[in-house]
Amino acid sequence: MDQLKSLREMHAYMRLAREWDLRFEKMFRTGALSKWYSSVGNEATTVASASAIEAGDSLLTLHRDSGAILRHYLDINELLPGILPQDPVIREPMGGDSQQRFLRLACQMLGRENGFSSGHERSYHYNLFEEQWGLFHIGMISHLGSMIPVAAGTAFAFQQQGGDRVAINFIGEGATSTGDFHEALNIAAVWKLPFILVIENNRWAFSTPTSQQYACDHLSDRALGYGIPGVQVDGNDAEAVLAVMQTAVARARSGAGPTLVEAMLGRHRGHSEGDDSLQQVPEADLIQYGEEDPLDLAEKRLIDSGVFSRAWIDEVKERCASLMIKTVDQAASMPEPDVHQARSLYAD
Amino acid sequence: MQTDASTESDDTLYIDAISSALADEMRADPTVVLMGQDIAGHGGAFKITRGFLEEFGDQRVRNTPIAESGTIGIAIGSSMLGIKPVIEMQFADFISCGFNQVVNVAAKMYWRTKQSVPLVIRLPAGGGMGAGTFHSQNIENWFLHTPGLKVVSPAYSNDAYRLLRAAIRDPNPVLYFEHKFLYRRERSPIQKQPVRDRILGESTILRSGTDITTVSWGWMTHRTLEAAEVLAQEGIEVEVIDLPVLSPLDHRGIIASVEKTQRAAIIHEATCTGGFGAEIAARICDEAIWSLDAPVRRIAYPDSPPPFHKGLEASRIPSPERICSELRQLLDA
Repeated sequence: MDQLKSLREMHAYMRLAREWDLRFEKMFRTGALSKWYSSVGNEATTVASASAIEAGDSLLTLHRDSGAILRHYLDINELLPGILPQDPVIREPMGGDSQQRFLRLACQMLGRENGFSSGHERSYHYNLFEEQWGLFHIGMISHLGSMIPVAAGTAFAFQQQGGDRVAINFIGEGATSTGDFHEALNIAAVWKLPFILVIENNRWAFSTPTSQQYACDHLSDRALGYGIPGVQVDGNDAEAVLAVMQTAVARARSGAGPTLVEAMLGRHRGHSEGDDSLQQVPEADLIQYGEEDPLDLAEKRLIDSGVFSRAWIDEVKERCASLMIKTVDQAASMPEPDVHQARSLYAD
Repeated sequence: MQTDASTESDDTLYIDAISSALADEMRADPTVVLMGQDIAGHGGAFKITRGFLEEFGDQRVRNTPIAESGTIGIAIGSSMLGIKPVIEMQFADFISCGFNQVVNVAAKMYWRTKQSVPLVIRLPAGGGMGAGTFHSQNIENWFLHTPGLKVVSPAYSNDAYRLLRAAIRDPNPVLYFEHKFLYRRERSPIQKQPVRDRILGESTILRSGTDITTVSWGWMTHRTLEAAEVLAQEGIEVEVIDLPVLSPLDHRGIIASVEKTQRAAIIHEATCTGGFGAEIAARICDEAIWSLDAPVRRIAYPDSPPPFHKGLEASRIPSPERICSELRQLLDA
C-alpha cells in the first residue's frame, strides 16, 4: 500500500507536468508562443528523480524536465487542494508560495516581465534561487553538456561546506558525447562529489539516433571507466526510477561520491515543436514509444491495484488541465517587459 | 610566502605580490578555494602557490585533472553557492580548452539570471622567454569581446597585489592576466591596505607629457616607459598611460590626454588585427577626432602565432627601439 501511495504522489505531479506541456504545445500551435520544447514522455524520470531530493539540494535541468521543476518547486495541494493526502509519502513539498512560483514559471515561459528572467531568456534557460526555502535551481544554456560541470560545481560547494546536500543534473544521451560529460564526471569521481547525473536517453538527439551517437551497449557502462556506479533503468517506470535515484542520492549524501543513471525513454515529440525531426524516427518505434507512455503505465498500475478508479484518474487529469488553462491565461494577460529597460551585465 | 604583518612592504617581486595577495585573501576569507593543475604539492608551474597546501590544506588547495572546461564549470557552479574559487591556468593559452564555460556560462550568467559568479581565473600570459607558440600568447582580446567579464592586466607589483585581492572580492567573473616576463623582473613596493572589493575601470598616467599619448598594459607599459625616456632626451615628451584594468574600460583619462597631446599610439603585445588597440583607437576617434593632428597608431605584434626561436620572437614583440621609431614617425606625420 505504501508503494501505491508513492506512485499516487508521483502520478499527480506527472499529470501536472503532462498538462503543462500539452497547454504550451497548444499555445505554440496557435502562434501565441514562438518556441517550445516538450517534456512529454519524460515525466516518470523527471518527477521520480526530483522526488528523491529535498529542499537544500541543487537541481540542474534541461528542456525536457518540466516534471522535475514542478515536482521540486511546488506543493500540488496548494494549487489543487485535496488532490493528495495532506501527509506526503515520498518527500516534503518545497516551502514558500507555490501559487506565486507557478504563475511566475508560466510568465517565464511566455517571456513576461514577471518571469524569472523578465523576458530576457527563453523557457527553461533561467535560474530560480530562493535561499530561505533551500530552492537552488539552475537552468540550461543551449550548449548541451555544458551544465554538467556546473552541476558538479554545486556539489563541490556542498562538499566544501559540509552537510549532506546533493546535486542532480539531467542531460540527454546526445550530450554524453561532449567533452564536458567526461571532464565533469571524472573530476566528480576523483573528488567524490555528491552528484547524480541522469541521462534521459530518448534515443534521438534532434534527428541523430543512438547508433550514430555512441558505440557502447549502455551509456551507464561508462561509469565503470570513472570508477563510479552506473545504473540503467526503465525511464518510463516512475517506481523503478525512484528506487534507483533514492539509492544514488543516499550514496551521495553518505560521501561515497557520484552515480551515473541512464533512464531509457522514447522520443514522443520533435526536437522542438514544429520541426520535422520525428520523420527520422521509424513508425514502429514511434508506436512503441507511445505504448510505453509513462503516464499510461502509472495509471494502469494504480487502477489495477483496485484502490483507484478510472474516475479518480480522470478527475486528476481534469483538474490539472483546468489549472493550466487558468494559470497560463493569467500569465498571458500579465505585462510584457519594457523593451527599453537596461539590464546590468555586472553584479554590484 | 609573504606575511600580512605589515601594510607597506619593501620592493616586492611581481610573482611574490601575486602569491601574497592569494595567501592574504585566503586567510581573510575561508570560502576562497584554489583549483589548478599541479598547484598543490608542486606549488604550480611557476611556484606561486608553494607552501599553500601546508598552510591551507587539501580541501582549499585542489589539484585538478587536466580538464580546463570541467574545472571552470565546477568553479562556476560552486561560486553560485557560496564558494570563491580562484583557478590557476597553467598557461593562459590553455584557457581555450575551457572557452565555452568562460564566455557562455560565466560571462552571461548574471545578465541571464541575476545570479552572480564570483570567480577568478589567473592567466600566466605573454612572451619574451622563448617558450614557444602555446606558452607565449596574449589572448586578452578574446575575452574583451565578451560582455560580462572583467579583465585586468597589472604591470606592477602593487597593481598585481591589489587587483588580485579586489578580483577575488568582486562578485563577477574576473580574468586576471599576469605577465610571465614580469614575474621575476618587475620589483617594486606594494601597499597592502586598503583592500578594495570591486574591479572598476581605471587608467594611470605614469609619465606626463605634451607631445604624444601612449596607452599600454602589462609588459608593454615597461617598454613604453623605456621608449619615453629615450625620446625625452630628444625633446619629445610622451604621456604614458597604463591600463591595469581593460574591462570595464574607463577611457576618460585617455580622451583627456589625447585632447592635450593631439597624438595617440596604443602599444600591445597581442596581435594587431582585431586587437584591443583597435577598440581604443575607435574610442579616441569617436570622442576626440577633431583634436588629432595625426592618425592614431597601433604598435603591436604582427598577425602571427609566437615563434619559438628567441630572435624570431624578439623581432615581433614591440621593442623600445621600435616604439621610439614609430612615435617619432607619428610626430612627423
